[in-house]
Amino acid sequence: MSLEQLGKYVEDGDDKESKALAERLLTDGTDPLTILNTLTEAMGRVGERFAKLDIFLPEVMLAGEALTAVVELVRPRLPKTDTWTSKGKVVLGVVRGDLHEIGKNIVKLMLETNGFEVKDLGYDVDSLDFIKEAEAMGADFIGASSLMTTTMPRQKEIIEFLKEKGLRDKYKVVIGGAPASKEWADMIGADLYCENANSAPGLMTGLLVE
Amino acid sequence: MDSGFNSQCGPAYRLLTRDQINTIHYATLELLETVGVRIDHPDAVEMMRSAGCRVKGDDLIQIPNWLVEECIRSAPSRITIYNRFGREAMHLEGRKTHFGMGTDLIKTYDLVTGKLRQSKLEDVANAAKIADYCEDIDFIASYALPHDTPVNLMYIDSFKTELENSVKPLFFTAAGPEDLAVIHEMAGTVTGGTDNLRQRPFLIHYAEPLSPLMHSSGAIKKLFFCADNGIPVTYTPGMMSGASAPVTLAGAITVGNAEALSGVVLHQLRSKGAPIISGFGMSTMDMKTSACIYGCPEYRLALSACADLYHYYRIPMWGTAGASDSQCLDQQAGMEWAMSLLTDGLTGANLVHDIGYLGQGLIGHPAALVICDEIISYVKRVVRGFDIDPEHIAMDTIRRVGPKGQFLSTAHTLKFFRQEHWQAKLTNRYLIDSWIDKGSKSWGQLATQKAIEILSNHRPEPLSDEVQDSLSAIRAKAERDLAEKHFEA
Repeated sequence: MSLEQLGKYVEDGDDKESKALAERLLTDGTDPLTILNTLTEAMGRVGERFAKLDIFLPEVMLAGEALTAVVELVRPRLPKTDTWTSKGKVVLGVVRGDLHEIGKNIVKLMLETNGFEVKDLGYDVDSLDFIKEAEAMGADFIGASSLMTTTMPRQKEIIEFLKEKGLRDKYKVVIGGAPASKEWADMIGADLYCENANSAPGLMTGLLVE
Repeated sequence: MDSGFNSQCGPAYRLLTRDQINTIHYATLELLETVGVRIDHPDAVEMMRSAGCRVKGDDLIQIPNWLVEECIRSAPSRITIYNRFGREAMHLEGRKTHFGMGTDLIKTYDLVTGKLRQSKLEDVANAAKIADYCEDIDFIASYALPHDTPVNLMYIDSFKTELENSVKPLFFTAAGPEDLAVIHEMAGTVTGGTDNLRQRPFLIHYAEPLSPLMHSSGAIKKLFFCADNGIPVTYTPGMMSGASAPVTLAGAITVGNAEALSGVVLHQLRSKGAPIISGFGMSTMDMKTSACIYGCPEYRLALSACADLYHYYRIPMWGTAGASDSQCLDQQAGMEWAMSLLTDGLTGANLVHDIGYLGQGLIGHPAALVICDEIISYVKRVVRGFDIDPEHIAMDTIRRVGPKGQFLSTAHTLKFFRQEHWQAKLTNRYLIDSWIDKGSKSWGQLATQKAIEILSNHRPEPLSDEVQDSLSAIRAKAERDLAEKHFEA
């Protein structure tokens, strides 16, 4: 019953009630892994409702934030032997010279709500820092966003640096942002272009399966 | 439109009452004084501090009301923009409206293949040439962002190409103060020195604060360069309501106005009386697709409020119209272009940019400019209104013709038909059989055909060989100087 209620709170984007209830469940001895699985189910429902347009982006964002709040609370309580494996690990940021991060933040939540683990590097991120952080995290993906045409070359630079360091095959490079395109992704040798945040989780999951 | 004669009636639209203007103005002042703006530029922070602003932390600047109002007063209430030959072309003042293009569309429809592809420098040239020909397009801009020139020279090459293909006033963007300086030098070459350019500017730069409530270092450097050199500058935020600005229109307008007015303060403190065009644009975020929507009705409402505010401030005001979210020349594009161009004409926005935009500010089409030229012509006719003096009431003529007569062959008709009735250039007005004989073409097809004709026949006024050589030399030097440059955010 309570687990069901937690799922409902998260689905409704109520981060306060979600955290409070998760705290109570943990105190009562509920298995952290069970809690995380409940969250995954709840987010699945959120995704389905968004796909049908029963709900819109603000509702998805709020649910995502509630989810993140509970995951942060629960993950440290996972027993060492139990691992909650994410779908994939992503370092995500806005390239150097660009301060526009709203789109990137939406992508982050979309990925997290779909079971990816995301390290958010923020904005104005140096190309080398993308690589350093990816190495540190053991990431599967490097996600680089650019909203400005003048900063798009930094997406290319990340790929060039990866090649220079002999790390190109270690990461899937995903690019996005209004001026980016499939054509641009092909030109610079990125693994994937995502037109919008909604499409990112599905397309990136597809890359992992390959 | 200003008629100057009592007998001339003309439509003008105001959204806000004086009390409502005050309400938004006070909210803006409160926001600037109690929340403030982030300024990512230490010298600018220092300038604001010594002018009387409160500085919280390193970069949060709270601006006192008196300073905002003082800078609104010191900003000029009128700016004259000239053409490449130094002739008066646009008066940015009162309710006078001028229409022109926007910048930096990354994709363009190819007139030869009909396909959508990455924009090239040739597209910048084509757009300038078409706009040079179209008499109702008042100013030009790059329209396309060329992918086939070195990245750090994109704006320089666009500017040079526009100079080569049109004499009209030129609205332009730059990556940073470095290429802006190169463009300034090029413009000075055309006018016979930058002193002449300052006296008779034919160019307007476009830089922008970042919503919400932030001025980046790169934007301030460009703003200051313009203030120092007397280059008219548009410094206006492009908000996305629901994402980078409140979802409510009144909230977004307040935030956008605070961003714009704090820009006016920065600009006027740097150089009192320097020419600035202010205002704000407000797209919406589509909550299904997360796309940035230009063609929405909310943009029209926010811009109407903006026009009322900046007429009240007596600062030339920036408008946006002729921008559609449709990806092609279709009915949606026609609707969104026409509705927005008419609304901006009626609100009296002074410098209306972005005509012929498609695909949420990402796609251009040469024929889109031809279509918007026609819509602007229509709008200008509506806004001009009509005269109701005795000669126009025409009692004498009506009396002479009498019941059951005809007006077609009267001297009165001959005298007035050209002014009174709008003369369509492209719009289909054929009778049905003629239309079929001429190939049953849609408006989009006619416009595409017209664009092709203009490009093969129109010869813009060329630059002198001497100026052309100087521009090439400046360009060559810039290619060396900016080769490794990373522009600042």
